[in-house]
This record gives sequence, structure tokens and C-alpha cells, in this order.
Amino acid sequence: MAGAAARLADVPGGRSGLPARDHAPAPGTARVAQRTGAPGTGAPGTGAPVRGTRRIGTLAAGLSTPGRLRRMLAWLILATLAWGSLAAFTAFQHTSGAGTVVSASEPLTHDALQIWQSLSDANDAAGAAVLAGALPPQTVLARYTSDINQAKRDIADAAARGAPMSEIQALQVGLTSYTDEVSRAEANDLLGFPVGAGYFRQASTQMTGQLLPAAHDLYTLEDDRLASASAQATGLPLVVVTILAGLALGYAYYRCARWLTRRTHRLLNGGLAVAGAVAALALLWLVSAYFIGRSDLLAAQSQGSTPVIALANADIAAAKAHTDEALTLIDNSGDDSYQGDFKTLQGNLGPGPGTLLAKAQSATAGSPAAGDASAAARQAQAWFTAHQAVRVADDQGQHQDAVAMVLSGAAKQAYGNLSADLGQAITADDAAFASDASSGQGAFSGLGPGIIAATLVMVAALVWGLSRRLAEYR
Amino acid sequence: MRKTAIALAALSAAAMLAGCAATGPAAAGPAARGQRAAASQRAATSKDGSARVTARTASAGSASGSAGAGSCNPYASLSPEPGGPAVTGGSFAAKIRKQGFLIAGVDQTTYHFGYLNPLDGQIEGFDIDMIKDVAAAIFGISPASSAIASRVHFKAISDVDRIKDVQDGTVDIVAHTMTVNCARQQQVDFSTIYYDASAQILVDKPAGGGTAPTLARLGQQHARVCATSGSDDLAIIARAHATPVPETYWTDCLVLLEEGQVAGIVTDNSILYGMQAQDPDTVVTGPALEAEPYGLAISKAHPDFVRFVNAVLARAVADGQWLASCRQWVASTCQRPGWPIDYVS
Repeated sequence: MAGAAARLADVPGGRSGLPARDHAPAPGTARVAQRTGAPGTGAPGTGAPVRGTRRIGTLAAGLSTPGRLRRMLAWLILATLAWGSLAAFTAFQHTSGAGTVVSASEPLTHDALQIWQSLSDANDAAGAAVLAGALPPQTVLARYTSDINQAKRDIADAAARGAPMSEIQALQVGLTSYTDEVSRAEANDLLGFPVGAGYFRQASTQMTGQLLPAAHDLYTLEDDRLASASAQATGLPLVVVTILAGLALGYAYYRCARWLTRRTHRLLNGGLAVAGAVAALALLWLVSAYFIGRSDLLAAQSQGSTPVIALANADIAAAKAHTDEALTLIDNSGDDSYQGDFKTLQGNLGPGPGTLLAKAQSATAGSPAAGDASAAARQAQAWFTAHQAVRVADDQGQHQDAVAMVLSGAAKQAYGNLSADLGQAITADDAAFASDASSGQGAFSGLGPGIIAATLVMVAALVWGLSRRLAEYR
Repeated sequence: MRKTAIALAALSAAAMLAGCAATGPAAAGPAARGQRAAASQRAATSKDGSARVTARTASAGSASGSAGAGSCNPYASLSPEPGGPAVTGGSFAAKIRKQGFLIAGVDQTTYHFGYLNPLDGQIEGFDIDMIKDVAAAIFGISPASSAIASRVHFKAISDVDRIKDVQDGTVDIVAHTMTVNCARQQQVDFSTIYYDASAQILVDKPAGGGTAPTLARLGQQHARVCATSGSDDLAIIARAHATPVPETYWTDCLVLLEEGQVAGIVTDNSILYGMQAQDPDTVVTGPALEAEPYGLAISKAHPDFVRFVNAVLARAVADGQWLASCRQWVASTCQRPGWPIDYVS
């Protein structure tokens, strides 16, 4: 008793809240007790426990309230920090995944796609130029030049963004030798020499056999990296664990609050209430950011990157078939290997069940490119019909008529429309991907630092709330 | 020398008369062989070439002689009716005339022999001129007139389809730098030889004016030499111990030569001159490796058409048309044909 009174007397101003009989100790006794520090010899008959026992009880954190309070505070702080770290880690994982998607993977995939498309179109334009003979139309030459320049720019950009060096070098070296051969083809064509066709055959074989597969490999590689970054941003396990841990933390707060209510006869502990509220808000923020971001990124994939790859496959196959159509006429030798390849590609393109155009149509359903994809399917049928007329004319010896159909007639119109529709579809869905991905990234913005701040606020609130209770015991 | 020549001429004349009177092919065999020996001496341009040509035609001749399908003399063809080409009733030429156009299987990528000129969209060349002469004779117009274009359907065919297309009537006649040999003579009929090419090699012009390497020298280095797949020239390259490089088209071989991936191209010098015209840094060189006499291929079902075409060719040589074409397309130094034309009735 005397010891308790002494401790109370030491505290400046004392603490209200304890029964009045604890106040007003005998000053002399208190000072003596303090000076000696010896196991208190409490006045017999007061009914209070021995001072030493009380101290041991405090150290052992047994049934003593302050001890339990301190222990509770320590564990709550630990749990809060642990949950805060987990939540912050989750937030940073998702944020960095979304960030990678938007700032690294998506531009690289876009570059790779453009390289693939530009190279394919350049070869098609070169074929049209060689077929046109000595005086190719300016539009065709301009298309070839702009495609090659676009491809070179995109290769340099992809290299700067960290595409694998071996792929980049293969593309650069191959593109140099390809452009070399096409210029020799055109130079010989200008002089009326048949060897020009030989150079173009060699260039086209290099394009379809080496360059286009290399560009396709790069695109597939970058698309896979995009998918894994996206998976990191939308993955479920971490968030589920964080939510469960958050609920457990909330439950711990609740139990501690109840214990406090019983012990201190106060309904609510201010600090614990604040900490609980902040925890709830942080968890709510995390969950909503996650679900919004996830839905945006999944939409980006389903309306963006997945249809784009299906459309690109159809586009590249159509360009290859178109070059085959030109090469049969350029070669003009009765050999039908290029026509055979055209027939194979026609079968692959469709639009029948399981074909590239059918896959593109189903992939673009619900995305901005749906209309263009359907239009492309119709144009493909028109082109194949026009191609039949070209073959009939050529096989009957009307070679010049067949060439005219391909360069400026019905076949050219149909293929041009097909190519334009597919190009527009790809652009539309590519833009949809970029915007969905960036809004997905936006959903996560500030989440990490916010969680950290919330955790610190929670810890501060706990410390404030519980130390007030602890101070009552001094 | 003169006595030998007179004796040979008398012998061959007698044999021909005997052959015409007798059952034909078997009797004409020995006479043809005798003619062949003299012909090969005149045709060959080097000792090597003549020996090879004689050996080849001799062995093939005995084979075809035993088969009884005609003598193996590339320079022999059915004799024309006297009096120039005439479209007689019921003949194949009359049928073509009624049809309105001649269908000719040609190459459209062999420079200066049969190719589509990208500058004006016209098919032209030495082979084409021969076809135009035939069409002109069928339809009674001048070969230089613009009406010829509507009278001929030029069909681009590949090397492998030449014989098949003639046999099944897809084309009426083939002019495709086609070498006459015994194996082919068993499948289709040929006109008289309208150009006697020989196989040579095309190499880069040596820097500094040295001598260009021959196939023999390239063979010693086992250098890479190009020819089209399926041609006899690959065998010639292999025999010389060079490394044969097959390609689909002749122009592909020229691309390889220009890029330095092969050291030479072996084929008929007619085709090689066309390549040299496209690349002045190359030169046709070396001895004649094989005789390549060209004939127009016609189905065996129309011997009257063969005679008609031979009459057209004879007239073209006589009135200078052939020489003009040769000088325009082959070389300005063309002379009148110096190879034998052996008519068989």
C-alpha cells in the first residue's frame, strides 16, 4: 500500500481515477521506502500485497493489468507492423506489375508487333514494285520506303527498351541484306533484265524464311513477358492472404478492445478505435484498388493484346499470300510452287471454322475492333474470288491482263481493303490495351505509400491509446 | 579427201533411197550413222566436244536403232513439201488456222531467247521470232506485222512440262531453248535445228585482264558451279570435279554468281549470252562442253505440221529472216547456219 502510494506520489499531480483512499500518504514513510528500496515491509493489516511480489508479478506479466497491457500493446504493434508490411508488399507487387506492363512490356510488345507488320508489308510493296516492272508507281515505292524506315526505328527503339540483343542483331543484319537485294532487284528491273526477278525471289525467301520468323519470335517473347507482368499485377493469392491477415488483425483489435472494456470499464479505447478504423479503411482501399486494377488489366488483355495477336496472325498470312500472288506472275514460268503456297494460306485464312480470320473475329468480339474484323472477313472472300479470275487469265495466256488485275484492278482493291481493315482493327485494339492498362496502373497509384502511412498511423494510435491506460497504473 | 567426200555422199544417197523404198527406220539407221559421223565433225568446235558428241550419239543411236523408233540424229527431221510452207486442207496447220490462233509453249524468263520485257510488256526473243514466223506462215501475214500478237497465245511453261504439254495438246508447238536428244526424240517430234548452241561456262571477268578460268580449272579447285536442277549441266559439272550447285531458275544462278557464292554457271551459251548481257562483268568462256542443238517440239501425232514448220524454217534461212533475228537477239556476228540439216522422208 505504502509502495503504491509512494509511486503515486512520485507522479506529478497524481492520477485521477483511483479511489481516494490511495491518496495522501504519510510523507515520511514514502521517503523511507524510496531510499531503502528494500523489499517493502508494508504496514500489516492494509490488505495490499507485498511490494516485491507485485514487482515480480509485473515482470512475469502474470495477472497484473499493466503487464498485460504492455504485452498487448507490444503484440498489437507487432501484428500491425506485420500486417502493414504484408499489405505494403502486396501493394508494391501489384503496383510494380502494373507499372511494368504500362511502361516496359506494353511499349516493347507494341514495337515488336510493328516490326513484324512493317517487314511483312515492305515485302508486299517490293513485290508489287517488281511486278510493275520498269516503272513502279510512286505510291508503291513510298510504301516500301516508309515500311523499312518504320521497321528500323522500331528495332532501335526495342533495343533501347531492353529487347534481347541476339534477336535485335539478327533483325538488323537481315534487314540490311534484304534491302540490298531489293534495291538490286529494282535496279535490274529498271533495265528490263529478268535477273531482277531472281533478286526479288531471293529477298522474299529471306524475308519469309528468316526475318519474319525472327520478328514473330520477338513479338511472342515480349507478349509472354507482358502476360507475366500482367499476372503479377492481377494475381489473387497475395491479396487473399492480406485480406485474411487484415481480418485477423481486426479480430485481434476487437478482442483487445473487449478486454479493455472489461478491465477499464470504459466502452471504447480511443487509440484502438482509431487504429481499427484506419485498418478497415486501408483494407478497403487495397481491396477496391486491387479489384478495379485487376478488372482493367484483364480487360486490357481480353480486349487488347489477345485480339491483337489473332489479328496480326491473319494480317501477316494475308500479306504472304499476296506476295505469292505477285511472285507467280513475276516468275511467269509455269511453275506453280507459289500458287500452291497461296492455296495453303487461303485455307488457313478462311473465313471458315478454325481459321485465322474466324479466330480473329471471335477474339475481337466485344472489343473496339469487332466491326473491322468482320469487314476483313468479307473482304478476304472478295479477294479470293478476284484471285481466281487472275489465275484464269494468266493460265489462258493473258499475262498482262492478270498483272493489271493485281496491280490496279479488282484483286488489288479487295486485298487493299482487307489489309486496311485488319490494320485498323489492330490499331483500335492496341489503343484499347494501352488505355485499359494505364487505368489499371492508375488504380494502384499511391497504394503502397498509403498502406505504409496507414500502418504508421495505426501504430501511433495504438501507442497513444494503450499508453494512456498504462499510465494510469504508475 | 575429195574422194572420201564423194564416196560418202554417194553412199548416203544410195542408203537414203534404199531406206525410203524399204520399211524405213531400220534401213535408215546405218546411213544415218554415217551422216552423223560427218555431221558431228562439222558441228563440234573442239576435239573434246566432237569426241563426246560422237560417243553420245553413237551409243544412243544404237539404243534407239534397236528400239526401231527412228534414227538418233538430232539434225534429222522430216523433209518439207517442196514449194515452201503451204496450208493444205485437213492438215494440222489448217486446223490451227480455223482455230484462229497458235498456242506456243515458251519461256518467259530467258533473256533474249524468250522473255517478257518489263519495259514494254512484250514477249520477245529468238525463240519467239521462230514462233512468229510459223504463225505468219499459217495465217498468211508478215511476221513483223502487229496482227501477229492476236494470232499467237504464248503460254509460259516450265522446263519439266515441255514434253508433256506437247504430247497432250496443251500447246501446239514448243520453242523453249530445247535441246534435241535421243531420249526426247522418242517422245516428241522436232523440227530441224534452228540454233546450234553448245554448253559453256560463264564466269566473272578476271580482274587485271588475265585469262578467265575454264570449267577444268574450276574443277581442280573443286569450286562451286551453278546449274538448274534437273538439267544435264549438273552432270557436266560433276564430271569436271567441280561442286554442282542446283537452283530452280537460271536467274537464281546469275544472282549467286553476282553475289560471289558460285564461281561459274554452266549451261547453253545462248542462255549464257543473255546473262552476260545483263551483267557486263561476266564472260562466256571455255571450250564447248556439249552440243546443244535446239529444235521446235511438235507432237508425234502431226508429222505434216513438222514438215510445215521445216518449210517455214528453210524459207526463213533463205530470205534472211533467220539471220536478222540471230543478229538482233544472239550476236551481231551471226553467220548463216553452219550445222547440217538432214531431211528424212
